[in-house]
Amino acid sequence: MSKRFSQRQTRWAAFTVAASACSVLLLPAQALAHASDRGHVLLLPTNYYLAGGAFAVAASFLVLSLMSPEALRRLWRKRLVLFRLPDTARVAVSLLSFAVFVALIAAGFWGSRDPLSNPLPLTIWTLLWTGMTLAQGMFGNLWSWLNPWYGPWRLLARLIGSEDERMRLPSWLGYWLAFLFFFGFAWFELVYPAPDDPSKLAMVAGGYWLFSFVLMLVFGYDVWSSRGEFLSIFFAMLARFSLLDRDEAGRLSLCWPGAKLLDATSLPFSGGAFLLLALSSVSFDGLMRTFFWFGLNGINPLELPGRTAMIGMGSLGLVATFFLLALLFGVSILAGRWLAGGRLPFTQIAGLLVWSIVPIALAYHIAHYLTDVLVNGQYALVALSDPFALGWDLFGTAHMTVTAGIAAGADAAWWLWNIQAVLIVGGHILAVLVAHVTASRLAPVTSQAALLQIPLTMLMVAYTLFGLWLLATPTAG
Amino acid sequence: MTGRFFDLTNGKASRRTILKGLAAGAGLAAAPGFVRYAQAQSSAPMRIGFQAHRTGIGAAYGRWYERTTAAAVKAINAAGGINGRPIEVVIEDDGTDAARGAEVVAKLATQHKVDIVYGTLFSNVVVGSAPTAGELKIPYYVVSEGYHVASGKLNRYVFQPGITDVRAQVTSVAPWIAANAGKKITMIFPDYAFGYDHRDYLPPALQKAGAEVVAKIAIPPTESSFTKYFPQIPSDTDAIYHVMVGPAVLTFVKELGDFYGSSGPKLFGFIDSLEAVDINSPGLEYLDGSHFWEGSPRYAQADDTEAQKAYRAAVDIDDNGAAVADAKDVSTAAHMFGCWETLYVIKKAMEDAGYKGPEDRAKLVEATEALTEFAEGPEHPQGKKVFNGKIHQCFGTQNISKLEGGKLKVVHKTAIEDGMYEPEADYTKQSL
Repeated sequence: MSKRFSQRQTRWAAFTVAASACSVLLLPAQALAHASDRGHVLLLPTNYYLAGGAFAVAASFLVLSLMSPEALRRLWRKRLVLFRLPDTARVAVSLLSFAVFVALIAAGFWGSRDPLSNPLPLTIWTLLWTGMTLAQGMFGNLWSWLNPWYGPWRLLARLIGSEDERMRLPSWLGYWLAFLFFFGFAWFELVYPAPDDPSKLAMVAGGYWLFSFVLMLVFGYDVWSSRGEFLSIFFAMLARFSLLDRDEAGRLSLCWPGAKLLDATSLPFSGGAFLLLALSSVSFDGLMRTFFWFGLNGINPLELPGRTAMIGMGSLGLVATFFLLALLFGVSILAGRWLAGGRLPFTQIAGLLVWSIVPIALAYHIAHYLTDVLVNGQYALVALSDPFALGWDLFGTAHMTVTAGIAAGADAAWWLWNIQAVLIVGGHILAVLVAHVTASRLAPVTSQAALLQIPLTMLMVAYTLFGLWLLATPTAG
Repeated sequence: MTGRFFDLTNGKASRRTILKGLAAGAGLAAAPGFVRYAQAQSSAPMRIGFQAHRTGIGAAYGRWYERTTAAAVKAINAAGGINGRPIEVVIEDDGTDAARGAEVVAKLATQHKVDIVYGTLFSNVVVGSAPTAGELKIPYYVVSEGYHVASGKLNRYVFQPGITDVRAQVTSVAPWIAANAGKKITMIFPDYAFGYDHRDYLPPALQKAGAEVVAKIAIPPTESSFTKYFPQIPSDTDAIYHVMVGPAVLTFVKELGDFYGSSGPKLFGFIDSLEAVDINSPGLEYLDGSHFWEGSPRYAQADDTEAQKAYRAAVDIDDNGAAVADAKDVSTAAHMFGCWETLYVIKKAMEDAGYKGPEDRAKLVEATEALTEFAEGPEHPQGKKVFNGKIHQCFGTQNISKLEGGKLKVVHKTAIEDGMYEPEADYTKQSL
C-alpha cells in the first residue's frame, strides 16, 4: 500500500470505525473485487459522450436564447384534455395502500431474513424509491392517492368528527422539517450500515409512518403532507415534470414534460434547499462508489472494509455534497443577478430558478437506479408473491427465475450507458428550457433574461459532465 | 410449518421454497408466542446460519453462493438430511461488512439459535467475524480461500474444509508454469494484501521448480490506465503472471494487447479477476491462448466425472458455466463449489460427532478436526481433498486451463501435494 494511502487511512481512523479494515490488511486476502459491469463501460468511448453531452446542453441554451420565450411558453402550455377523473376512490386506494404497507411491515419483522427474499426492502428501495419516483415524473402525483396516510387520516377524522388541525405549524419553519427528514432518509439509505435489513427497515419505516400520522393529526393532513412529510413533498415536486395533469375540476390532460413547472410559484429558501438536497443526495450516491472518492479517503476500492468503517466519511460526504451544490447554485444565481443588472431580489430569482433542478434530479434518479430496477425489480415480484415465506404464490411469480444477466455483460453495459447518457443530457437540456422560460418571467427583456441564466447554464453544463463522469468512472460496491 | 417444506417424500419443493421457508421459520421463531418445533427434537431441523454477502461489494458472489447452498441443501435433505434431520438454513445478510459480520454471527447464534454458522466468502468479513464465533463457541465454516484460517491467526472454531487457500493455489501452479510457460517470469499484481500473497508465495515456489521472477510490478489499486507500467516488463520475460482485479481488468488486458500486438510473452492469470464475467467480452481478445488457474472449471469438460455433471445440473449451470435460464448470468464456478463441499463436510462431521444440539458443539469441532480426507464423488465433485485438522484447512487439486476457441479447457490438474506447505499453526492446542 502506498504511503499516501497509509497516511489518509490514519487520518480517517479518527472518524471511522476502521479497526476491522486495518486488521484485514495484515492478513492475506483473496481477489474478489471482480470485474463488474462498469469494466465494460470503461472500454467505451465515454469521453466523447462527456464532451458531446456538455456541448449539447450549452448549444441548447444558445438556441433557446434566440427563441421568443412567449412563443415557447404558448407551445409548452398546450394540452390535450383526456377525461374527468373524480377523486371518489382516493380514500379507498390509500386505505388499500395502508393495508399493503402494514403487511409489508409485518413481513419485515416476520418474513425471510434475506433482503432479496423479503418484500419490505425490495418494495421500499426498488419499487417505491426508484419505481414510484419514475412514475411520479411520468404520470403525475399518484402518491397523493397511493400514500398510506390519507385514507387512515380521513377515517380517523370522520370517527372523531373533525378534520381540523390541532396546532398551527409555524410558517417560519417553511420546509426545514421536511429537509431534515429527507436528510435522515438519505443518510439511512446511503450511510447507515444495514438499510436493507428487513427488521431494522420495518422499525424505521413503521416508526416514520406513525410519527408522520400523529403530526398529520396535529397540524392537519394538508399542511403536514405539503411542508413536513418529505416523501409527499419530493414526489409532488417531481410530479410537476409529468406528462399528465389533473386540474382543480378533476380534468385529466396530456401535457408537455415540465409544463407544470412554468406556473410554479417561487419556493422559499427552505424549499429550494430541499430540492437541492434531493439532487445532491443522489449525486453523492454515485460519487461515494467511485475510485476517486475512495482514493480521496484513503480506502482501497478493491478491498472495501464495508459500510460500518465508512460511516464518518459517508456522513461528511453527504453533508459536503449538499453544501457544495447549494454554494454553486447560490453563486450562479448571484452572478446571474449581477449580470442582469441586480435589481431583482435574490430570493425570488433563486426560488423560481431552483425549479429547473427538477428535471435534472429526475434524470439522475432514473439513470442512477436503472440497473437496480431491472434486477431487484424481479426479486421484488418474487418476494411479493410470498411475502411471509410461507410457500404462497399470490401473483404466480413466487417461482419466477430472476434473470440477473439482464444487466450483465458488454451488450447490456452498452445499452445501459447509452440510455443513462440520454437521460442525463436530456434532463439537463430540459432544465435549461425550464430556466429559460422561468427567467423570462423574472426579466421580461430578452437580453436581461439571457444574462440572468448564463451562470446557471454554466453550472448545468458542468453538472452534465459530472453526471456522465459518475456513470463512466471506475466504481466499487 | 417447517415440516411442510421438508416433506422428504415430496420432490417438488423448489430451491427457493427450501431457503425461503427455512428463513421464515427463523423469523417466526422470534415472534412472540411461537412454539418452536412441534416435533420431537430428533426430527427437528439442523439449523445452519448462512452469513451471506447479499448486498455490498460481494453481492455478485453472494448470489451464486446462495444458489449453490440452496442446491446442496435440497440434495442433502432429499437424501435424508443429517442424521435423519433436515437442514434448515437461516440467511442473514452481512452487507460484505466486517463489523456487520460479527453482528450477524452473534445474531445467528443467540437470536436464531442456529447450530453452526457457515458460508462466508470475503476475507475482511471472516477476519471480523471469527473472534465472535470463538467467544460464542459456535463452529464457523467459511468458504473464503483466504490463508487466514491456515495461518493460525483465527481460532479453534473457524474451519475452511471445502476450498483451498490462496497460498496453496499459488504454490501448486508454480511447477506447471516453470515447465510450460518459461523460466523468466514477470509478475503484475495490485499493490495491496491480495497482490502481496502472490508476490510472496510465487517466487520461492518457482525457484524450487527451476524458474525465477525477473520483475515484480505493483499497480496502485485505484489505477485505471496501465500502459505506462508495461515498459517495466523486462524484454527477456518468457511469461507474465498477472493477478489484476477490479473493474479495470478489461482495460488492463486490452492495453496489454495494444502494447504487444500479436507477439509478446505468454500469459498466466488467476480467474478470480474474471469470475462472473463472460470470458468472450470485448477487450479480452488478447487472453486467447493464455492460461488460467481455476478452482473448479467454469466450462463443462469432455472428461467430466458423473459427479461433476450431477453437481453442475444441481446448481443449474450450463456448459458455459452460466445460469441455465439466463446465459448472460455467468457463475462464480471457480469458488462456489466450495459451498457444496463444505455443507457435505458439515454433514459428515455432525454425523461423526453424533451431533444433537448446541451442547455438542465442542464434539463437532473435534469431529471436524479428526477428518483427514474426502474422496472425489457426488459430495466432493471438484476432486479429492486432504484435510489438516491442526490448521483447519483442506488441500486439493487445482485446474490450469487454456483459453481457446472462446472456452477454458483444463490442460493440467495439479497434484494435491503441489500445494502443500509446512503448517504454521495447531488449533487443536487451543482449549474448547
